[in-house]
Amino acid sequence: MALFTLNPLTRKKVNRFKSIRRGYYSFIIFTVLVLLSCVAEMLVNSRALVVHYNGEWFFPTYGAVIPGKKLGLDYDYETNYRDLEAKFEQEKDTGNFVILPPIPYNAFENDLRDGEYPPFPPSLETRHYLGTDTIGRDVAARLIYGFRTAIFFSLILLFVSYLIGVSIGAAMGYFGGLFDLLFQRIIEIWSNIPFLYVIMIVSSIMIPNFFTLIAIILVFGWIQMTWYMRTVTYKEKAREYVMAAKALGASNKRVIFNHILPNTVSIIVTFIPFSIANGIIALTSLDYLGFGLPPPTPSWGELLSQGSNNLESLWIVSSVIVAMTVVLVMVTFIGEAIREAFDPKKHTTYE
Amino acid sequence: MTQYFIRRLLLIVPTFIGITVLVFVITRFVPGGPIERMIAEVQQASMQAGGSMQSAGSGVGAATLDEDQIRELEKYYGFDKPVLVSYWEWLLKVVQFDLGTSSRYSEPVWDTIKERLPVSAFYGIVTMLITYFISIPLGYYKAVKHNSHFDHASSVVVFIGYAIPSYVVGIILLVVFASNLEWFPMGGFYGDEFEDMESIWQQIGDIFYHAALPLLAYVAGSFAVMTFMMKNALMDNLAADYVRTAIAKGIPFRQAITRHAMRNSLIPIATHFGNNISVIIGGSFLIEKIFNIDGLGLLGYESIVERDYPIVLGVLVISAILQLLGNILSDICVAVVDPRVQFR
Repeated sequence: MALFTLNPLTRKKVNRFKSIRRGYYSFIIFTVLVLLSCVAEMLVNSRALVVHYNGEWFFPTYGAVIPGKKLGLDYDYETNYRDLEAKFEQEKDTGNFVILPPIPYNAFENDLRDGEYPPFPPSLETRHYLGTDTIGRDVAARLIYGFRTAIFFSLILLFVSYLIGVSIGAAMGYFGGLFDLLFQRIIEIWSNIPFLYVIMIVSSIMIPNFFTLIAIILVFGWIQMTWYMRTVTYKEKAREYVMAAKALGASNKRVIFNHILPNTVSIIVTFIPFSIANGIIALTSLDYLGFGLPPPTPSWGELLSQGSNNLESLWIVSSVIVAMTVVLVMVTFIGEAIREAFDPKKHTTYE
Repeated sequence: MTQYFIRRLLLIVPTFIGITVLVFVITRFVPGGPIERMIAEVQQASMQAGGSMQSAGSGVGAATLDEDQIRELEKYYGFDKPVLVSYWEWLLKVVQFDLGTSSRYSEPVWDTIKERLPVSAFYGIVTMLITYFISIPLGYYKAVKHNSHFDHASSVVVFIGYAIPSYVVGIILLVVFASNLEWFPMGGFYGDEFEDMESIWQQIGDIFYHAALPLLAYVAGSFAVMTFMMKNALMDNLAADYVRTAIAKGIPFRQAITRHAMRNSLIPIATHFGNNISVIIGGSFLIEKIFNIDGLGLLGYESIVERDYPIVLGVLVISAILQLLGNILSDICVAVVDPRVQFR
């Protein structure tokens, strides 16, 4: 705890946040989900966690491909651990065993069977707990990896757009003058662009990958934070403590970084959950329309579009809708709680 | 004030040019533009006619369309000139309400858009009416009965509408009410028998029968924000000194709200008013696609997929103008409701 000490005001805010139960619990659950998704390879994977074969231990999850021959199979390509498990179970008393992740499929493999055509409904026996999609990929696997894509997509988007927004906005508000005027005009023009449509046009042409898609959205997404930041800086600049700092001879750099920015953090923080939700929604909508990340990237939007085109396979659309609803409602709970904690409103009521 | 709005109106021009230049230039450097499409179509036709099997690749086009034909096509689409020259020509035509000819339907873009516009406008206007009709009374009631059971219960609905994007609500409605319960049709603006219906009332009924689910999705997307806004504004105003004074003087509570607090609480709602215009276009790509409604959004979406750039640009022109006008309209509304606001 000695690493960083919170000042009493911040501690009060944190405590107030903790006292808003649904927001606090959502925050904990959400953080756990994000952390778990970082090690999704150990939970949802076609590779086994542990293989014990003829006295040797293998941990295939993160390493190089282990060819089938090495584990007593008759092929050279990557071992199919589900088959290996079945094989080890048949030849008993050898002491060999395989431990598979809870969901033993990855997000890309097609589980094909003879005489049957996907989508397959959920089944405990085949361990497709949420069924498969129209080309036989495991829905649960794609859902979880899709969550990871969406979450990191919106976190990176958030970080970069806040970086741009805070720098330009603070500069606009603090320095004013021609710089402010120039960017005001740019923002005025930029904010009139029907931007979902333009993003659709651009990405239909470029076929973006993860980072170019972030860049495309950034081109239109930097405005909001910039504008808030400008207003806030503008207000803070006029306050006495800034004047005092200046009178003491503080440089512009010192006034901005040591005095104004710390005072704007509480406003920036309240926007974060809503930006995360917006990032997820933006990516999912674009994927749904087919202008997002290229296939076969696992994504919620792609699952949504598959599900709504195959309404008879209800498990596809319902699992992605439930996942989306839960995540977005949690993020919004967090957002409400943070806003409440940082900017408590005491209302007057009349009897 | 007048000066400010004149400046805003004049700003439309550079904004409009900026947006269209951007998109125009992008559409120019695309693989798979109209000419490539046409080449592919000709090629496909000849393949189906039993022509030689050619592997797909870059040199294929030349085998099916000769140089002269391609040049003729390029001339037809204005691809033979530099970008800015053909942009200028396009702009001159746009100013005269000529948006060019669709490369997919081979009919004037303006006619195609004109056909779709009423459909989108219908959804936009009805959504707006329903949203105001629900949000203002609901927000009012929630503010007055703050912390009551009704307030908490309705907050759940408002909250979910706020957290989930409207197109996901649309998909949920489609799954539950159209696909499973079969209470409502799966999509479309009206049914197959529309032309044969005898009375206009039947036709209107049919339209609303088809519109029920999409409208619900649209409203779900917009009423939550509006309700929150109404409630918060009203509560802020109720806490303000002038309302406290009014009540202290002995005005009945109801009158204090309707005569004093309510008027000021409508200001934030007014700032939102112009957005409705762009919602007619902007929010509708997804919902129109889900419910297969032949509106402007679906047209724009399909033309992007089909790389029908005259229509892509046409839809962009219309939606950019509507959005620009909508923003100005918002400002005018604010100026009308709030005399304190001064635009410079």
